Amino acid sequence: MNGKMKSWPVATVALALMMVFCLAPLECVADVEELNIAIGVDTESFNPNEIRNAVSHNLCELIMDTYFYQDVQGGLHPRLATGYDVSPDGLTVTLHLRQGVKFFDGTEMKADSCKDAFDRLLDPKRRVSLRFAYTSIKETEIIDDYTLALKLHYPFTPLIPALALCSVSPFSPAAMAKYGQEIRRNPIGAGPFKLAEWVKGDRIVLVRNDNYYGEKPTVKKIVWRIVPEVATREAMLQSGQVDICIKPSPANLDALAKDPALKIDKPLSTRSIFLNLNTQKFQTQNKLVRQALNYAVDKKALVKGVLFGQAEPSEGVMSPILIGYAKMDFQYDYNPEKAKKLLKEANFDFSKPLQMLTPQGRYLFDKQVAEAVQAYFQAIGIKAELRVVDWPTYAAGMRKPLDQTDREVSLGGWGPVILDGDMTLYGQFTCAVNPPKGSGTSFYCNAECDKLLEASRREQDPAKRKELMVAASKLIWDDCPWLFLHTERFVIAYKSKIKGIVTAPTERLYPTYITMD
Amino acid sequence: MLNYAIKRLLASVFVLLGISILLFVMLRSLPGDPAAVLAGEMATEEDIVLLRQELGLDQPIYVQYGRFLNRLAHFDLGRSARTQDPVIDDIKTRLPNTLVLAVTATFLACLVGIPAGVASALKPHTWIDYLATSSALFGISMPVFWLGLMMVVVFSVMLKWLPAGGTGGIEHLIMPSLSLAAFLVAFIARMTRASMLEVLGQDYVTTARSKGLTEQAVVVRHALKNGLIPIITVIGLQFGRLLSGAVLTETVFAWPGIGRLIVDSILARDYPMVQGVILTFGLLFVLVNIIVDLLYAVIDPRIRYD
Repeated sequence: MNGKMKSWPVATVALALMMVFCLAPLECVADVEELNIAIGVDTESFNPNEIRNAVSHNLCELIMDTYFYQDVQGGLHPRLATGYDVSPDGLTVTLHLRQGVKFFDGTEMKADSCKDAFDRLLDPKRRVSLRFAYTSIKETEIIDDYTLALKLHYPFTPLIPALALCSVSPFSPAAMAKYGQEIRRNPIGAGPFKLAEWVKGDRIVLVRNDNYYGEKPTVKKIVWRIVPEVATREAMLQSGQVDICIKPSPANLDALAKDPALKIDKPLSTRSIFLNLNTQKFQTQNKLVRQALNYAVDKKALVKGVLFGQAEPSEGVMSPILIGYAKMDFQYDYNPEKAKKLLKEANFDFSKPLQMLTPQGRYLFDKQVAEAVQAYFQAIGIKAELRVVDWPTYAAGMRKPLDQTDREVSLGGWGPVILDGDMTLYGQFTCAVNPPKGSGTSFYCNAECDKLLEASRREQDPAKRKELMVAASKLIWDDCPWLFLHTERFVIAYKSKIKGIVTAPTERLYPTYITMD
Repeated sequence: MLNYAIKRLLASVFVLLGISILLFVMLRSLPGDPAAVLAGEMATEEDIVLLRQELGLDQPIYVQYGRFLNRLAHFDLGRSARTQDPVIDDIKTRLPNTLVLAVTATFLACLVGIPAGVASALKPHTWIDYLATSSALFGISMPVFWLGLMMVVVFSVMLKWLPAGGTGGIEHLIMPSLSLAAFLVAFIARMTRASMLEVLGQDYVTTARSKGLTEQAVVVRHALKNGLIPIITVIGLQFGRLLSGAVLTETVFAWPGIGRLIVDSILARDYPMVQGVILTFGLLFVLVNIIVDLLYAVIDPRIRYD
C-alpha cells in the first residue's frame, strides 16, 4: 500500500466523526471571523492605571483580563484569581492566583507580576485614575508563587468587588521591562484578546488569544470603529457595515426596534443623573427648599418626554442595580402644590434667582434635561437662571471649596465602575468628599450618615452591610442633597443573528463567546 | 522666484511666533482646568495636583512659554496631555487623512465648478446661467452636516451602495469628499463666472474673436487664463480652510482627520496638542499662500518677484 491509500481509512473515520458530532445535539459552532462594533469615543491608553472612560475599561478587560468577573447580581466569578480569603480582622485579603496562566509573550503569571501591578497603582508619584478604590491597601506581600496577600490600613469590604476592575490587572514583567511607559500602546496581558492594531481616531483591532487559559473565544477578530456621530453609528448598523452599535440615540430606538434584523439590549446602567443642591450655601442650604425642588419636578414625564422613556426615574438614592440599593419608603412624586407650600414654609426668597448650571454633551440630553427642570422651577414661581457650559469649564468648578464655589444647583452624573453602592454613597455623600478633596458638589456632610457608611465599609456580612447602607440612604433621601432624577440605561443595538452577547450595567460589552446564525 | 520663496518662508517664522504667543495666552485664558478634566471626576485631590505638576501647569505662564519655545527650537511639539504620546505622531497620522479629503474635494470642486462658471459666463441670462447660479446658491446655503447625513441615509442605509463612515478603500472617500466639494463647487463656480464676465468684456477678447480664432481658443487661451488669478486665490484660501479641518464632515463620516483631533483636544483642554496642531495649520497656511503667489507668476508672465 502507498501513503495515499493508507490515509484513506483515517480520512473516512475523521469525516464520519465530524458528521456525528455536528449532527449530534451539541451544536457545531463555527467561529465568527470578524465582529465590527461602532463606538463613540476612542481610548486614550491601554495602561490600566491611566484609563478613565467605559470604553477603555471594556477594552482593557478583554486584553488584560481581571482577577474576578462581577455578574449583575454582584457575585464574583474566578478569572485570573481562583478565589480570595479575608482574615477575621478584615486587615488581610489573600488572593489565590490561577496557575498556568500565560501572558501573550509566554511569561507565566505569578504573584510577583501581580504584586508589581498593585505596587504601581499605589505609587503616589504615578498618576492613577481610580486610585481611590484601592487606598485601603497598605502593602502587598508574596506568600508563594500563586498567593498574594493585600495588607490593609483598615478593613474595607468594597475592595473585594474592586478586584474585578482592570485597574489592578497584572502585566507581563518582561513587557514592563521592555516597554516601560510605552506599555500604554503595547499591552501584554493574559486576556482572551490581544491588541493587533490601534489607529487613533479610526479603529482598534483585537485578535483572539489562542493561548487563553479559559474557554477559547468564538470570535477571531473584533474591530472597534470609532464613530463620534450617533446617526452615523446607527446608519452603519442599518447598512450592515457594523454588527453592533453602542449607545444609539434614544430618539431612534423605536425605529431600530421595529427592524426585524436588529435587536436592542438596554440594561439599567450604574449611572444616576441628578442635580446637586448645595447643602451649605445659598437658598438650597435649607432642607425644606431641597425637598420642595424634588417635588417640583415630574421625573416620569421628564424621562418620557426628554429621554424617550429610555431611563428609570429615581426611586432611591442610587442606581437600582448597585449592591446596597433600596427603594425608599416614600417618593418625591410630582406635587407642585406641596413644593410651593414647602418653599413658603422655608421663607424662600422668590425675588432671588436660583442659579443653575449644566454641562453640555457630557450626559445623555443633559442640556435638555436641565432646561426641562428649569421650566418646572419656573412653573412654581422660582426665577431659575440656567447656564450651559462645556465640560472642562464645568469640571473646573467642581473641586472649588465651599467659600469659593458658585454652585447652587448643578446637573451631574455618577456611574460607579463596579456594582457596589459604596462608590455612590461614600463617593458623593460623606464629609470626606466635599470639594476640594472629592467631587461631592452638594457639600453634604452628615455625621450620622458618615458613621453608617464607615461601618458599612468595615462590615463583612452582606445582609448587615446592606442594612447599614439602606439606613444611610434613608438619611440622604430625606436630606435631599440631590434632586434625584433618573438612572440611565446602557443601550446597544445589534444584528439579531448575534447570540450570546453579554452586557454589563457598568457599560461594558463582552462579545467573547457570541455566535452568529 | 526661488529667492522670493525662501524669503517668504523665513518671514513665516515671525508669523508662527506671533501665532504661538497669541495661542498660548488665549488657551490659558479659557475657563477650565485641564488637570481636573484629564484626571477625571473620581480622581483624588492628590492625583489632580500631581497631574498639574506633570503638565507643568503649576508654573508661571512665562516659564511654560519658555519651555514650549525651547522644545519648539528642537522641533519637539511636546506630548499630548491626554495620551502622553508625542503630538507630532498624532499629526503625522491624522494630517494625511485630511489632506486626502481636502485634495479630493478641491479637485472635484474645480472639475465641476470652473466649467460651470465658464458656461454660465458665456451664456448669461440663459437657462444654463440660471441653473448654474441657483445650484451655486443651493450649494453655498446647504449645511454640510445636513448634506452629509442625507447622503448617509440615501446611499448607505437605503441603497447600500456606499459605506456610512470610516476609512478603507476609495468607496469610503466618495461621500465625504462630495459633501465637502458641494460648498466649494458653488464658491468656485460663482467666482469663475464673475471673473470670466469681467475678462470677456475686455478689448483683447474682442480682438481675438475678430482675428477669427475659434471660440474654444478665445475662451481657454485668452479669457480663462486671464481670469484665473482671482479663481486661484479663492481656491487657495478655501484649500487652506479645508486643511484646518473639515470637522463637521469628519464627524459625520467618522473620518479620522485633523479637524476632529483639534476639536477633541480643545474640549479636553489638551494644551500641547492644540498648540502643536494650530502651529502646524499656521505653517500649512503660509505654504499654501506661497504656492498661490508663485502660481500667479506662472500664469501671468507680467508678475515677477525678483
